[in-house]
Amino acid sequence: MRPIIKVENLSKQFRIQPTNRPAVRYDTLRESLVETVKSPLRRARANGKAAGDMIWALRDVSFEVMPGEVMGVIGANGAGKSTLLSVLSRIIEPTDGRAELFGRVASLLEVGTGFHPDLSGRENIYLNGAVLGMRRREIDEHFDEIVAFAEVEDFIDTAVKRYSSGMYVRLAFAVAAHLNPEILLVDEVLAVGDASFQRKCLGKMDEVTQNGRTILLVTHNLDVIAKLCGRAIFLRKGQVAVCGPAQEALNCYITTSNESSSPD
Amino acid sequence: MVSVMSNHETVELPDKPLVVIERSKPWVALNLRGVWAYRELLYFLIWRDLKVRYKQTLLGASWAIIQPLITMLVFTYFFGKLARVPTDGVPYPIFFYTGLVVWTYFSNALISGANSLVGNANLITKVYFPRLIIPTAAVLSGLLDFAIASVLLAGLLLYYGLPVTVRYLMFLPLVALVTMLALGFGVWLSALNVRYRDVRYALSFLVQIWMFVSPIIYPSSVVPEEWRWLMVLNPMTGIVEGFRASLFGNPIQWTALGYSTVFTVANLFYSAYVFRRTERHFAELI
Repeated sequence: MRPIIKVENLSKQFRIQPTNRPAVRYDTLRESLVETVKSPLRRARANGKAAGDMIWALRDVSFEVMPGEVMGVIGANGAGKSTLLSVLSRIIEPTDGRAELFGRVASLLEVGTGFHPDLSGRENIYLNGAVLGMRRREIDEHFDEIVAFAEVEDFIDTAVKRYSSGMYVRLAFAVAAHLNPEILLVDEVLAVGDASFQRKCLGKMDEVTQNGRTILLVTHNLDVIAKLCGRAIFLRKGQVAVCGPAQEALNCYITTSNESSSPD
Repeated sequence: MVSVMSNHETVELPDKPLVVIERSKPWVALNLRGVWAYRELLYFLIWRDLKVRYKQTLLGASWAIIQPLITMLVFTYFFGKLARVPTDGVPYPIFFYTGLVVWTYFSNALISGANSLVGNANLITKVYFPRLIIPTAAVLSGLLDFAIASVLLAGLLLYYGLPVTVRYLMFLPLVALVTMLALGFGVWLSALNVRYRDVRYALSFLVQIWMFVSPIIYPSSVVPEEWRWLMVLNPMTGIVEGFRASLFGNPIQWTALGYSTVFTVANLFYSAYVFRRTERHFAELI
């Protein structure tokens, strides 16, 4: 069988802003002009070591995922898990390397992307569905199921800004759970709602995986990895440390995190 | 419960990948087919803008009329009754109102287009879709306000008993033209705004100045002949005069209108190209 996701030497380099310079967020034309004048000087002073400003968030990441497989991605904060999903979701561009996806992709990097507080639950289901790549016909078909799953029947025509935060995330997750792509990229969105809703989410994920969908799942919840995933990738400083059976990746992750957090 | 859509055994993979992810080439295609594939999202984003626009307001969509109407009344008094600006024989209220409706639509579409990417940062950092959809939706959603304000325009035309002529046929192509002009600048400025937030501040006052150099509160005929070409360099001149010619029967200034059309189309292509070339960095910069 051929892989549905094929990742080869994928690398992503980010520029980190030294503390004496403002973050890109507040970039203005004036700063940029000043920067244009100053940076050759600084580079000359640094003896061409300007690469110190750069960090590899992903470095030569290669792996393959088979159709119907649920692959976990684990690693410490800043290991590059979210960057990996962003690159595979085509939100940011890789610096180097290549990935090939042989199916329709939907990414779920956050619950409730595109929700508008002033719109009603009903309206947000349509908006959020469209944002996640659902066709209007698909949303029509699943509408009742989504509402029932989210348990918001009585409030469906209320603006979501009046929702409790629990209702809000339940509705958001419910829309996402009814996506029907061949490949699903999921980042840490299972931990929403109260304990009983979380159980329901996990049940839904289990059901989704039974349907032969391919899932790449980033989470810090190791129990979820052990329960749902056949294989897992352990990312460490942007590189693949382990790519193999979930238990093996988990053991390696637990060992290394114990080592690094043990008192010296 | 959801029915089982596919099984492990029946998974058929295409020979070629649906999506290839790699560093993009320095040159890019416009990818209008990609935009077309996401037309439903375009529709929903316009729908969202319209739904949200007058939420929790008392007067609702009447704001679309109130703004140009009050401005028209003020202009009629000061520029008409007091300053006696010549209007080529057209009654003051309808002369000003026409210019104001066109200008209000253009400037609102331009400003909301320019701020659209920054305002939708949450979408850009979380989902993939052709980014051109965002400024396009922002510009197009201004059309509803324009349509509402045009109802009063029709009323004024009736009230002043201006003859209905075949020139009314020019109205819709002119609306398309002014929309494309706003789209071109909106697309370009929205991309620039991701990088330089100066755009937001510069734009609001540049638009003010732009209004004064466009024939909104005066006809371009008040400008001396030898300086008319300078006035026509502003693509809005041909368009606004075109609207007046279509409604009031003034002579059509073909050179100005032709120039505006060429400018608009070229600008739209250029802007879309610049946008496509820079959109790969949006998620990192925004």
